[in-house]
Amino acid sequence: MPEVIGRSVPRADGPGKVTGQTLYTADIEHKGMLHAAILRSPTPAGKIVRLNADKARQMPGVKAIVTAADAPDVRAGWALFDTPMFARDEVLFEGEPIAAVAATTLAQSRAAVAAIELEIQEIPPVGDIDMALAEGARLIHPKLAQYGSVPGIVFNREGNVACKYAHEEPGVDDAFARADRIIEDTYDFGRQYQGYLEPKGTVVQYRDGRYTVQSGHQYVFNLRDRLAQFLQIKPSDVRVQGMAIGGGFGGKLDFGPEPYAAVLAKATGKPVKLIFSREEDLIAATVREGARVRIRSALDKDGNIIGREFFTDHDNGAYSGELILMAGLALMFCRGVYRTGPIRTQFRLIYTNTSPTGAYRGVSGVPMISAIECHMDHIARELGVDPRAYRLAHTLNNNEKLPNGQMLHDAAILREAYAEIEKIAPWEEMKRTKKPLEGVAIGSTVWLTNPLPASATVKLNEDGSAHVLSGTCDIGTGAMAQGVVGIVAETLGLDPANVHIVQPDTDVAAYDGGSQGSRTTRAVGRAAEHAAMDVRQKILDAAAPLMQTEAARLTLSGGKIHDIEDPGKAIGLTDILMMGAFASGPIVGTGKHAEQPIPFDPGCAVGLAFPTLPTPTYHVHMAKVAVCPMTGNVEVKRYIVAQEVGKALNPQGISGQIQGGVAQGIGYALHEGLRVRDGRYMERSLEAYRLPLAVDIPEVEAIILEHPADEGPFGAKGTAEPPIVLAPAVIHNAIYDAIGVPLNSIPLTPERILEALERRKSA
Amino acid sequence: MKINLKVNGILEEVEIEASTVLLDVLRDKLHLTGAKEGCREGECGACTVLIDGQPVDSCLYSAAAAANTEIETVEGISANGLSAIQKAMVEEGGIQCGFCTPGIVMTLTALLRQNADPTPKDVAAALNGNICRCTGYSRIVSATLKAAKNAMAQKAGDAHA
Repeated sequence: MPEVIGRSVPRADGPGKVTGQTLYTADIEHKGMLHAAILRSPTPAGKIVRLNADKARQMPGVKAIVTAADAPDVRAGWALFDTPMFARDEVLFEGEPIAAVAATTLAQSRAAVAAIELEIQEIPPVGDIDMALAEGARLIHPKLAQYGSVPGIVFNREGNVACKYAHEEPGVDDAFARADRIIEDTYDFGRQYQGYLEPKGTVVQYRDGRYTVQSGHQYVFNLRDRLAQFLQIKPSDVRVQGMAIGGGFGGKLDFGPEPYAAVLAKATGKPVKLIFSREEDLIAATVREGARVRIRSALDKDGNIIGREFFTDHDNGAYSGELILMAGLALMFCRGVYRTGPIRTQFRLIYTNTSPTGAYRGVSGVPMISAIECHMDHIARELGVDPRAYRLAHTLNNNEKLPNGQMLHDAAILREAYAEIEKIAPWEEMKRTKKPLEGVAIGSTVWLTNPLPASATVKLNEDGSAHVLSGTCDIGTGAMAQGVVGIVAETLGLDPANVHIVQPDTDVAAYDGGSQGSRTTRAVGRAAEHAAMDVRQKILDAAAPLMQTEAARLTLSGGKIHDIEDPGKAIGLTDILMMGAFASGPIVGTGKHAEQPIPFDPGCAVGLAFPTLPTPTYHVHMAKVAVCPMTGNVEVKRYIVAQEVGKALNPQGISGQIQGGVAQGIGYALHEGLRVRDGRYMERSLEAYRLPLAVDIPEVEAIILEHPADEGPFGAKGTAEPPIVLAPAVIHNAIYDAIGVPLNSIPLTPERILEALERRKSA
Repeated sequence: MKINLKVNGILEEVEIEASTVLLDVLRDKLHLTGAKEGCREGECGACTVLIDGQPVDSCLYSAAAAANTEIETVEGISANGLSAIQKAMVEEGGIQCGFCTPGIVMTLTALLRQNADPTPKDVAAALNGNICRCTGYSRIVSATLKAAKNAMAQKAGDAHA
């Protein structure tokens, strides 16, 4: 009987965090530590005609100033190697690093940055995807074809398109030719800032020919590899030690301040701390990309979708990060979770002279799924049918296929999710009790769990407690502090208070895919479960001779080893470790996890990094909103989530992810947007970029559905990403329901809502 | 210039510039790193400390102006183990990444001293100066209500005894 799994055990790192004792990157001090600052391009596009740091070098406290001349002349990248460390001859976005300074104090390094002489001959920026795609557009990367890339993945690149992927099933044109009606929409999505409370920062030391990097980071092995690329050294010459991380949401998966601090650490021989200011963090953050999705559905006379076109264009910014790996999502999500007939789909990732974009919770899938769900409501409205009933009539059942040929074996969980929501919020009643300018909406989707491999080591201590070593941090979700702690405690029969998580360290842990894509509980949890089972067997083997019996007769619980056939006979774990360890050696176990390949149709997915949707989970969200006609503000009056999680290892942790993810989704739906004008962000502070406050967010009603997966620790699947994925579309559709005119963009700011209400008046 | 600051009941003499903000004194000179710098523009509240019992953004608050006041930081209220609100935050799951947590604990400490029985709306309004990006706030609100309830039960128990 599980004693920990399924219980809401509080997080192991709670007391440290609530007392302020937890150490984040900015809290680190080393003897002789210098403080660094970066000179960034003040303009989105131009040629560097003069760069002179001679005067700045003479300023008090300045120990080093480095530029492109001090770094290897290489381009690096997660997948496509297009990014220089410092701008060399030209700048491609506002905020691109040009020089970095290390000085005794931060004030001194900032003063020196201001004193560097920089002259840029400005060029009109290619400021958005329309300009980038226009005929005769200036090429942002004229040498695009020559850039290196990771092996095994194909990037079709041309002009200002960093990556294009297209696929077509037979019969699309025929479907449109015989359609009873065709419904078409274009949706525009703004950029969303991750808005983690801890700005990016690092402390780097260079000793004995190696770099030691301390950063609150989601993916320490990716950071190690990026530093090795930029510095042209072996990955093993970089040691990344993960610190406690003050939020990330995808924004701390790639490099940030680390390469600059590394070059300065080597140049000065001193530890160098580089913490981004909030404005700098916002401008240089790899935010959720702006996107435009064009979707066109052919309907027969009964309202069935008999064909579709799905064209999705995403703004890469000036350089590539993770998004270039996301092309396959267009294939996976172009149908949503509904039957559609044949599809023509195209994904393009487009360079612009803007700050590079990247992963944010629900990476690239958010605009795609939002477009599908908004379009479904539009279709239902055109047909004059109920949007919930329309969805249910066309929702996939078990063993239906995604467009990549992958079978969804358990898609009927979607119907269970609709039914569970119906129990607490009957749809007809929700519609009937609406007041004027109130709206309701419901939507559904499938989402994935990131499939990167995992490793873990469990070390049994001489006092009977255990340490868990892995390459992943707890990003705040509780996936380590609750999930992995619970898995190891359960497997070893330990009190969760006696299971300790070690911060990730690339010198210590084996490779791991990092805290991303909802993978930690499932992948690291599975690796930790295997490691704990290894430890468990070693304990029983060591106990057997001491108890004068066979290991097969022994079991482990409550910190004791019991003889199954002689329940009175037991010895303590510490007894084994005191006596047995001398004979058996110290007890350490290791484990790993790799996802099994999923069968799919290889013909349609050539060269894709992610050709399939690993470990699908199923989701239905419902919202009720009220629109204020005077201000254009929207109040979310009720929000309900039914989410399938495999097995809920810690219900408190999961409901925390649902509440927090929906809050970010509501923020994106209603007011979070970085507007770009002439290549520059208009919002440049937390005052201008408004994050949701406590008064903005209702208590989300969460229904957790359990369908334990064969793989995954105790049946767990990923949970943290999906709550954000549906929220923008469901809020959008509830507003559409409230005011009855199409909106077709996110975020739906008060200005846009007032404009739509004006349209309604004149209609 | 030299000033005296009373931090968590202890008098400290520190050398500052006229423009130095309280957060920098706490973190860099007194090594009290519980207060965090999240924005340095008074928006996020991660740097919240109490001055004479009132929550302030220490990133904007002049250190010189804090002389002759009672300054309380998260380290001070943690000196005798977890307080009622800290305990409730841990138990209720009001914490995720933890970076906003010390500031939120300080804001809620002030709230509960002034209002022993707050409504959820009171708590949400008190948190207008604190951003939490992870939790969506609802577990922070429930933790506050739980801490208030526990404190009232404790008081009733003490009065009964």
